[in-house]
Amino acid sequence: MGMISVALGRLGQAFLLLIAMSLIGFIGIHSVGNPVFNVVNIETATPEDIHAATIALGLDQPIWRQYLAFIGNVVSGNFGTSYIYHLPAFELVMSKLPATLELASIAMLIAAPLGTGLGLLAGRRSGTLFDRTLVKASVSALSIPSFWLAMMLILVGAILTGWFPSGGRGLTASFLGQEWSFLTANGLWHLVLPALALAIPNIALIARLSRSGTIEVENLDYTRFCRAKGLSARRILFRHTLPNISVPIVTIIGLQFGGMLAFAVVVETIFSWPGVGKLLIDSIQLLDRPVVMATLTVIAVAFVALNALVDLFYAVLDPRVRLSS
Amino acid sequence: MKLGSPFRPRLLSALLFSIFLGSASATPAQERGELRIATSYKLMTLDPQYANLNENTSLLSHIYERLVYQDENLELKPGLATSWRPLSDTQWAFKLRDKVRFHDGSAFDADDVVYTIERIRDFLKPPSGGFRSYVSGIKSVSAPDPLTVLIETDGAVPNLPLFFSSLFVMNRPSEGVETTEDLNAGHPPNGTGPYRFESWSSGESLRLARNDDYWGGKPAWSKVTFRVIENPAARVAALSTGEVDVADAIPARDVASLKERGARVASVGAARVNFVQFDVARDTLPGVTDKSGEPIANPFKNPLVRRALALATDRGILVDKILAGYGTAAAQVFPNGLPGTSAKLLPEAPNYDEAKMLLAKAGFPDGFNLVLAGPAGRYPGDAESLQAVAQSWARIGVNAQPAAAPFSVFNTKRAAGDYGVWYGGTSGEAVDIILHTLLASPDPERGTGALNFGKYRNEAFDAMLARAESIAVGPERNAALAQATELVMADQPIIPLYHFHHIVGYGSRIGSYVLHPRGWTTAMQTLPAME
Repeated sequence: MGMISVALGRLGQAFLLLIAMSLIGFIGIHSVGNPVFNVVNIETATPEDIHAATIALGLDQPIWRQYLAFIGNVVSGNFGTSYIYHLPAFELVMSKLPATLELASIAMLIAAPLGTGLGLLAGRRSGTLFDRTLVKASVSALSIPSFWLAMMLILVGAILTGWFPSGGRGLTASFLGQEWSFLTANGLWHLVLPALALAIPNIALIARLSRSGTIEVENLDYTRFCRAKGLSARRILFRHTLPNISVPIVTIIGLQFGGMLAFAVVVETIFSWPGVGKLLIDSIQLLDRPVVMATLTVIAVAFVALNALVDLFYAVLDPRVRLSS
Repeated sequence: MKLGSPFRPRLLSALLFSIFLGSASATPAQERGELRIATSYKLMTLDPQYANLNENTSLLSHIYERLVYQDENLELKPGLATSWRPLSDTQWAFKLRDKVRFHDGSAFDADDVVYTIERIRDFLKPPSGGFRSYVSGIKSVSAPDPLTVLIETDGAVPNLPLFFSSLFVMNRPSEGVETTEDLNAGHPPNGTGPYRFESWSSGESLRLARNDDYWGGKPAWSKVTFRVIENPAARVAALSTGEVDVADAIPARDVASLKERGARVASVGAARVNFVQFDVARDTLPGVTDKSGEPIANPFKNPLVRRALALATDRGILVDKILAGYGTAAAQVFPNGLPGTSAKLLPEAPNYDEAKMLLAKAGFPDGFNLVLAGPAGRYPGDAESLQAVAQSWARIGVNAQPAAAPFSVFNTKRAAGDYGVWYGGTSGEAVDIILHTLLASPDPERGTGALNFGKYRNEAFDAMLARAESIAVGPERNAALAQATELVMADQPIIPLYHFHHIVGYGSRIGSYVLHPRGWTTAMQTLPAME
């Protein structure tokens, strides 16, 4: 019973969030400009062309009516048709999702273990040269703007050395009805630089969290007792320290993963990685409202789902969470 | 603490090494004969009649063809039609090419042309746009035999063959009309062009394969892959690393470094113009004030003010510094030498003293303030041009405050009348089409002045243009257009700034690349290097 009411409350919150997001998104994109000028060629279109297109897109209606029409469409499972590509907006977003999903997953597969490991190591040996180097490196990794990092990776990894391609997705293979890059060697090769660009700041972030957690836990009584009992340093680190510092790390991994799905815009644009972030920024530039709204909705749902997952994970990781609920 | 840790640094670094540097063969084995192009053009749809944008027409021209083709000098050349002639003022006959087949094997004939015209005229739903005006003058179209198309027009349309250079011919389906949705939803595009459609991923790539049965001979490349790369730096990077053979819309500032890396570059003056346009209709204008910030009557109604600002515009800086030499200073709508341009109109050097004098004569000895609006990131050098023009105008006391906005925002605001003077750009198939839309008096009936947002009216010019437009395509028409241009430019309704250059970079697998002034990027423009 308790679980159900918690779940219902969660769903209610998610619903309110989606409504708020759609309103803000709708008004926001509406106030930017008139999409008609991107749909017809302003250099050749006649005023009638523009007028006809305005009516066809429903842009002659007041904004509240446009919003209601949008909500009505969404309820019936339809986000409308992209103004620019003339494809169903939701399908368009879903067709770009695998690219982003694999990029973000690989970036996180690099960042999570590497960041946690480096942080544990540095935390346990705090004050050593390794620790000080890690702290300094993480500060710079976090403060580098992502576009600069991406450019540098292209410069070094692609232009100067020629080891990696400078952009694009490379060859893909079909799996579960979608195209994936990580299934082919060439596609994997194309993934390396953009995944690194996304992973590096996250390695730094996770390493810092895991380092400070380790330092804290290492000084707690139970660690000292473990040590007194004669457990190996390795066992203490993995069986005792790691689980105890994992709640904030899992939280940040969840949040960052959601962030990468939604806002890998810069990296996707620079590496011309055809994912959701790039689609979102293109659509905002072209004022392709149905696609913007569909993308925002998908992102919001993904965030809500990820947060729920993270909460679930707490219960698995930390017995105290299980007990209190 | 001792290093009995689970992390074995040597193993770890070996692993990292193998992940990062493992194999140096980053590029896959290239199939011989595949041409890879990085393009800034994002194909929006597979419907060749959806929108009249270079984005679509460039890429779709591999698959579909036109009756008439506009060559690099903008002269008309036979395409799917081998010849055309007027039978009377309102009647045209087009002779079609024999033994042409669509990609699905069906024969091309006059009925397909009829279908194409009907589809554009009667069935295309908005928001598609831009094509209907080409067929709006057509009263009836018929196919007396499979290789002849007869077209009857309302009144004289001497430009009809030119219009057909913009229309892709489609194959009449066995029943009904193909909608844009049909074409996008996987109904394979079926044209007569040199390459067949293979696959398309919106905003990502377009793959084509050679059409071995092409009437014009076997195309050069067995496969063509377009990669959509909108970021200019990323296009340059892809060309530098050899991932693509051709990259279009290269920023002028990157040309030198590309050449250092062994790529070659081709450029051509674009058949288009970027200009400053004045609102000459309203009595007061937003952003235009006297030096103390009080609103003043519209100064641009006075031709002396327009002339003064034109004289105080330094095109040399725009072309040399902002476009890094990849631009031509403009005095009319097309670069000199193209059909319909006037050899007498040459860009002037700035003359600030005379400009100041004219301004004083117009009643503004101290100048005035204005907001100079423009789009950012739409045309090469657009936002920077606002700054440069503002600086040169400051020398005659006109304080211009540059206001750059994203193109869609700029258009929305311009349509709402938020600007008094702005930077703009336009292109078209021919000089008369630009004069017709940009400078002729706005008249919805006749369809003139669609881009004349400044509401400039000049009856003498309208009459001259109408006369020129009634003359059949040829030297006489071109001379009349040149004359009309001279007349209207003397009144300075716009300040032509520059014709930017299209720049394309290409790698060692390409022998040469022929640029088209309309700014198309196609595989047909490449010649493979001798191997």
